[in-house]
Amino acid sequence: MSHGSSRLDRMSVAILAKDLVRRFDEVEAVRGVSLEVEEGEIYGFLGPNGAGKSTIVRILTTLLEPTSGSGSVLGHDVVREPNTVRRLIGVALQEAGLDPKQTGRELLTLQARLYGLRGSVLGQQIQEVTELVGLVDALDRRIQGYSGGMKRRLDLASSLLHRPRVLFLDEPTTGLDPTSRTLIWDRVRELREQFGATIFLTTQYLEEADHLADRVAIINRGLIVREGTPEALKAEVGTDVIDVSVSDHESGAARVAILEMQSNGELPEGELRGTESGYTLFVPDGASKIAALVRGLDRAGVSTGPISISRPTLDDVFLAATGGRLQASSESQPSQDSQRVPTAQGASR
Amino acid sequence: MTAATERFGEPGRGGPIDRSQPRTLAAPTGYLSDVAALAGRSIRALLREPESFIPALLIPLFFFVVQVGALGKVAERAFGISSYPAFQLPVAVLFAAANTAGGNALVLDIANGYWDKLSLTPVHRSAMVIGTLIGEMFAVVGYSVLLIAFGWAIGVRFAGGEVLGALGLLGLTVLFGVGFASISVAVALATGSVRATQTTFVIFFPLLFLTPGTLPRNLMTGWFKTAVAINPVTYILEAARSFIFGFRGPVLLKGLAACIGFCAVTFLLTALAFRRRARMG
Repeated sequence: MSHGSSRLDRMSVAILAKDLVRRFDEVEAVRGVSLEVEEGEIYGFLGPNGAGKSTIVRILTTLLEPTSGSGSVLGHDVVREPNTVRRLIGVALQEAGLDPKQTGRELLTLQARLYGLRGSVLGQQIQEVTELVGLVDALDRRIQGYSGGMKRRLDLASSLLHRPRVLFLDEPTTGLDPTSRTLIWDRVRELREQFGATIFLTTQYLEEADHLADRVAIINRGLIVREGTPEALKAEVGTDVIDVSVSDHESGAARVAILEMQSNGELPEGELRGTESGYTLFVPDGASKIAALVRGLDRAGVSTGPISISRPTLDDVFLAATGGRLQASSESQPSQDSQRVPTAQGASR
Repeated sequence: MTAATERFGEPGRGGPIDRSQPRTLAAPTGYLSDVAALAGRSIRALLREPESFIPALLIPLFFFVVQVGALGKVAERAFGISSYPAFQLPVAVLFAAANTAGGNALVLDIANGYWDKLSLTPVHRSAMVIGTLIGEMFAVVGYSVLLIAFGWAIGVRFAGGEVLGALGLLGLTVLFGVGFASISVAVALATGSVRATQTTFVIFFPLLFLTPGTLPRNLMTGWFKTAVAINPVTYILEAARSFIFGFRGPVLLKGLAACIGFCAVTFLLTALAFRRRARMG
């Protein structure tokens, strides 16, 4: 490893990945991912199912060796110094693998002992993490009786026992009810504020990335397609988003009408994408264009369903970058500015 | 990289450990402390599930009662055995020892992700397997003690000395039981498949039935005699019987050698499967 003038810079890098590639037989799940996460940062990794998020987490947490490329945590190589890395990180995996026959306390005690905690520190830490996730009352019950949300919280608690400096949360709220989700969001923010922990968070919920992350990487089919602060990414889209619902049999006519308006200057040039329920237009200053759009469609004899206008969301960033919508987004949380119809197009490829 | 440098990090090599940063609470653990923590969990799980260990105990007991009831008096006269219950007790004990959960608990951990969760800690990797095997050992000791006590209650005595005979039988059985459990542990580690691991149980039949279980070897003929002669469990069983019918040096030595050889093979398979699993992550 060469070092010198850049060493001071590297000291503040919590997670570093360089050209990570992982192949499973024929399939290339990760196709060359590089990223850098600063200490104390909340880094959101946003992408649909099967995009490669979990594979990257497994590599960076020492569970899986990369086919090529390298990764390190606080300067320690994940392949060559796995045990050093394991002491520095805490991990809550997507499928919380918990032994159902143990009680919560037994599971946490075993976990803490494997991290070398003992005596009064062990007791204090168990108390602290269970208070943090609100599981004190359930601690002496068998895990098989826990709800899905309780299991996630126990898993999160167990990943915090040794006060890790870098925390990996793999889809921490997927499948959770809104209350549990909000609780986890609050805890994640607290962890950063109280302990200065670096947090690497994967999610398929754009709201989650938007609300929590300082910086977001959008990953699709094993590649990072965009990276930046949520604000910068949305600004990159540069336009407002107009959604037009039209029935299937009028879809063609609507398309022709919109393209015509764009070519004769009634509507500005801008990207037009088909969605499951109609079309999405990316236009600057959308509010001033709605009237023209409605008039034009009316003239062409197209009867539209709801038309909405919104500021771009990360979903639109994803759409602009990949041509697909994020799967399962907005399902249990209404999106910020307007009711947008989530579609699954392209996300499951 | 040696274990020591890996454990303590490499501050000397320009490693970017920043002393001003808060440290984690994680500290190195001893191998035995890891094993003890994990074995404790296995034993707890076992005691919590009577539905898994009661059948493991009842089935050999059932076979014992039926065999002795059906053949007892006839066999004693025909085979020239002084006590058929005494002849059958070691069979029941070895049956029970081969009836442990083996890799089933381990493969469930792999399937439900708990293996991954443990792998994310700095635990010594092999302690995860050794802890399971110690749990199995605990089960074998439990079954054996109960069955030997049962035998004693119905009048089976150890001709070469009660305590020494019982301890000898127990020791041999524990070694065999752990060796047998290793087979399914190896399959669990190699495949991660719950079904494959459960199916491993079928090797129980040739190993435990192609033996002098019902009649002594000198009365056997033909292919059966040959099959029994090449089965290592034959010699383990004969040595186990020798603890009851009076110690016979050569029989004990052969049995011990067979048991050690058997375990060497199954432990090797487990070690290979473990390395494969550790590489896969």
